[in-house]
Amino acid sequence: MADLSNLAGLVSEPSGEIDSSANNRSLRLAEKERRKGEADPFGLAAKYLSRVEAGTVVRGNDELERNMVRVETVALSKGLPPEVITVLLDLALSLNAGTANCTRVLKFLIPATVVPQEAVVKGVSWLCVGKMPMNAQVLFVRWVLTVFDLIDCKDNLRSIYGFIFSFVTEENLCPFICHLLYLLTMREHGELLNKWLNFFGRQPFLTQLLALYKVYRPDLVTLSLPSRVRTGFKNHNSTWKVALSAVQRKNKGAVLVDQSLSLDVKEKPSTRKRVRCHLCNTVKSFTEHSLNSNKKVFRLQELRSFKELLENIHNIELPAQMGSLLGSALALHYLDCVQDESASLRLNFWLGHSLQEEFLLCPVDGSSDNTSEACRFLSTILFSQQFLQEGFSSTESFLYKFLSVWDGCLLRPQILDLLSDIPLMPSFYMHKLLFEPLKQLYFTSTVFFKCSLIECLNSMLVKWLTWHSVSALEGGLDISLNSNSTMTMTLSGFMDSVMELVRFVGLLASEGLRLENCHVLLLNQTLAFYETVCDMFLKYSLPLIIMPPAGVFYPALFATDSVSVDRLGYIMYRYRKNLTLAKKQEQQREQTFHISRNTYKEFNRNLQAMVNSMWNSWWSIPGSDIEIDKDLIALSKVAEPWCRFDLIHHPALFSYAIEFHRSCWPEKKNVDLGSIKIGKYWNWYMEFLFNQGFDGLNNFIRTNTGHSSGLSSQDDRQPMT
Amino acid sequence: LYLLLVLTYPCSAVNTPASRPVTRRSKSYGRSCVEAPSYFWQTPGHLTVLKIPTSRGAARSQLITNKVDPEHIALLVKNEWKLSYVTPLHHFRHTQLKSYSKHLAAFIAAEKQQGVAVEVGLEVGFKVTFTAVLGLAETDEDAETVFIQIQSKPVFAAAADAPKVVWRGWLTCVNGDPEYLRSLPPDFVSLPLFCTSGPESLTTLVKSWFERAFDCNFGSLALNSTTLNWLAALWTGCHSTCNIRYLKLAWSLPTQPPLDVSYTVNPQDAWELWNSIHPEESTDDKIDIKEVQSFINGLETHFFRHFKIYLSAGTLVKVSTALGSAHLDGKIKIGNGDYITTLLTLLTESALLKMPT
Repeated sequence: MADLSNLAGLVSEPSGEIDSSANNRSLRLAEKERRKGEADPFGLAAKYLSRVEAGTVVRGNDELERNMVRVETVALSKGLPPEVITVLLDLALSLNAGTANCTRVLKFLIPATVVPQEAVVKGVSWLCVGKMPMNAQVLFVRWVLTVFDLIDCKDNLRSIYGFIFSFVTEENLCPFICHLLYLLTMREHGELLNKWLNFFGRQPFLTQLLALYKVYRPDLVTLSLPSRVRTGFKNHNSTWKVALSAVQRKNKGAVLVDQSLSLDVKEKPSTRKRVRCHLCNTVKSFTEHSLNSNKKVFRLQELRSFKELLENIHNIELPAQMGSLLGSALALHYLDCVQDESASLRLNFWLGHSLQEEFLLCPVDGSSDNTSEACRFLSTILFSQQFLQEGFSSTESFLYKFLSVWDGCLLRPQILDLLSDIPLMPSFYMHKLLFEPLKQLYFTSTVFFKCSLIECLNSMLVKWLTWHSVSALEGGLDISLNSNSTMTMTLSGFMDSVMELVRFVGLLASEGLRLENCHVLLLNQTLAFYETVCDMFLKYSLPLIIMPPAGVFYPALFATDSVSVDRLGYIMYRYRKNLTLAKKQEQQREQTFHISRNTYKEFNRNLQAMVNSMWNSWWSIPGSDIEIDKDLIALSKVAEPWCRFDLIHHPALFSYAIEFHRSCWPEKKNVDLGSIKIGKYWNWYMEFLFNQGFDGLNNFIRTNTGHSSGLSSQDDRQPMT
Repeated sequence: LYLLLVLTYPCSAVNTPASRPVTRRSKSYGRSCVEAPSYFWQTPGHLTVLKIPTSRGAARSQLITNKVDPEHIALLVKNEWKLSYVTPLHHFRHTQLKSYSKHLAAFIAAEKQQGVAVEVGLEVGFKVTFTAVLGLAETDEDAETVFIQIQSKPVFAAAADAPKVVWRGWLTCVNGDPEYLRSLPPDFVSLPLFCTSGPESLTTLVKSWFERAFDCNFGSLALNSTTLNWLAALWTGCHSTCNIRYLKLAWSLPTQPPLDVSYTVNPQDAWELWNSIHPEESTDDKIDIKEVQSFINGLETHFFRHFKIYLSAGTLVKVSTALGSAHLDGKIKIGNGDYITTLLTLLTESALLKMPT
């Protein structure tokens, strides 16, 4: 009746009802928030379910339903802890929550780790009560079969063997019970044969169990059995298979169980999980172990802390499969420290093989569903490489092979990250292995790929330079390529490689900018790259200065966004710093290196172009890079073309000039930007601009024009010679 | 179908020995590939065309039973073998074969009994035998071949029943690239070619035992057309000394529906074609890849003349003669033990090319 009256109210007073429901909703939300705040809603739900008593009303019981859903969600995503399994199994089989809920609970009973034996024993006792409907009984036994390997121990189960055995008389249960008995049967159970023989049938599952009995007690089984029994037990795990394997993969490492109950290994032996997660962690039993048996050895995978590692570093035993150590920080510490050639080769063979089988020789079938796993795998490699601050050689050679078949799309972030870990190599190889395939990908891909690639090459360059600066600090000019490689590279070899890389990126960037109409993002990635390049001497003590090509410099100079122009200002400022220092050292004969005259010339030309167009308003100087025929410019009918790129009219700064003008002369209707150039307004404008955060431009203008110093020493403004 | 010989071919006797940089291997996991050249670089886009020699010696018959136990040879011939490649085995010792036999048998039994059950009770008694097949190795670097045999005695069989061989497999290395083999540290043994015959489930178990015991990895070894071309030419060249009985070639053409062409050539005709390309009495012992190519081209041209089908548009999938057969998907048969070395050299080479560097 209450419902009805509510309904009537709803019809007669729609507006009021809406208000109150809105109120209700906000109350509910608050309630929800409060509940979330409380610790562990899952625990509360489990607690609630443990208190459900016989005779509880099930239909329309929202609270029961809510708690059930909560537990179900956790069960299917993370699996259930052992104690909750016990609670739920009891709840289901006691039928306290109704028959429908019994099967429902059984279906989501996915263990996270193990199943307590007691829960199963109790379940069997509920089976003996005989209240459960047949389908629930079957489902229960099937569930036990599915999780059989996860049951923590089985001795009590074996001791109620007789009780379980009594169910073979149930026609529907019989096949499953036989299967269960088959798993439980020990030698002493052969005694039950006398009972068995009473209801012997020819069903395959019976034969199968009987065959096992015959093996143990041939004296009791006198029947002749076919020597080859084709059909045995079927798989009963279909209900839980997907959820269980998902949960197990998530909690991998905790329990490794072959939950596929089929022995039919017809499927391709190259299932992916085999390679990746299920590596055997055991120790070689018959080779190393026997040698070391006299002293205490520690398995690498058993160590938990760095301290333990340090204490036992001389008694460490490597696992049988080195691949299992990938991704373990402690193991990598150890490998890095001991430099065991065989161990690292084993790791490399495994890694190379996995990468090759997975990405190069992979079968065509169903590769899409496994990208997340492949992604995890690559991420693990990346983690290890970043940890070691060094790439694995097998990843490196894999990448060379992979680049030529890569579509530039598959697992792009991971592949590019791996690529940036490639160690320095002689310039001779760089073209063939790296530049050719990358060039093809670059010019046929979207602007986003172009940006990612430039970013990747920038990070590669930074890694090379860091390596150089570290090894240069440690000693001579010859640098070894890897921590203990036999191959060393001379300084000039190293410089050649760096030069090749910078030149290559210069080519990619200038062509890319042209193709993509000076895309802002691409321009910024390019400038980020040149921020690394311009500081090679000062920051990484590599006596090498390479100027950006015109295809990069001018798009940045004439960019329509202020960030790019500012970055260019910063880059030019840093170039000047580097060149000044180089020149100073050269004059003092401290260093034997020599920066070529051409570099200075290039720098001066760029500097002039920049200063002239932005500061002096002399754009398009005859004889410069960007000289354009006067008549041609006249055709464009642009007034005063020479000052279009000065600090006021530059498209990137134009809006700042307008804003400045507005705040200076708020009442003026006609905007005359020229008035900014006069007297103190110019200095104020400069200050205004620099306050907008254009530090790069600020530095550039200060060093190259002596603006804010006020003295403007003539020497400082001179181009470098 | 018989081949009529009307065409003559220019004889190209130029040998281009493969020039390769020296392989060195350093200790670091960061060992640069540049040091140990992986031959993939030379041909971007073709992952399998690596350091394949462009010339090789003609197949010579050798009385294999002088070198190798005839019983062992008998095990290798006649069966069809499925090929795999294996990365080098860590801590494998030929002196430990007995203990490996026990371990593998125990492993198989354990794996079979795990979980459930289909075949437990049927093959409880596994007997594994590891045997070293001495004499197959050609150079000092080659490790001796290892033959594995699994016998099973069904539990329900009568006591008198002899155990049945259910699975065979062998690991071998014949004329393996000496530089590669030398570059491995001494605790590795490289037996890159793995041939198996028997149920896939056992193959999987054996592989996984090897992977755990010697930290190695298996991958399936598919052959490529070039290898098949070589085999066709090398086997045909043997006809003057040993009757090859037939040269059977199978092509698959990418038509809709796919067209399978089986092409059987009279051995004498095939040999004459080959001899016109590579005269037997030529002073040079080496056969060049170009000669092989023109041999295959000759066969294809002849086919075109009769059926107006360009075989070169398809893929050569199988070659067989009385000396043996090889299928693109990595299945081989050895017909005559006396020519086994040539075949195994080619296959070892293919397997080594699959090695991750």
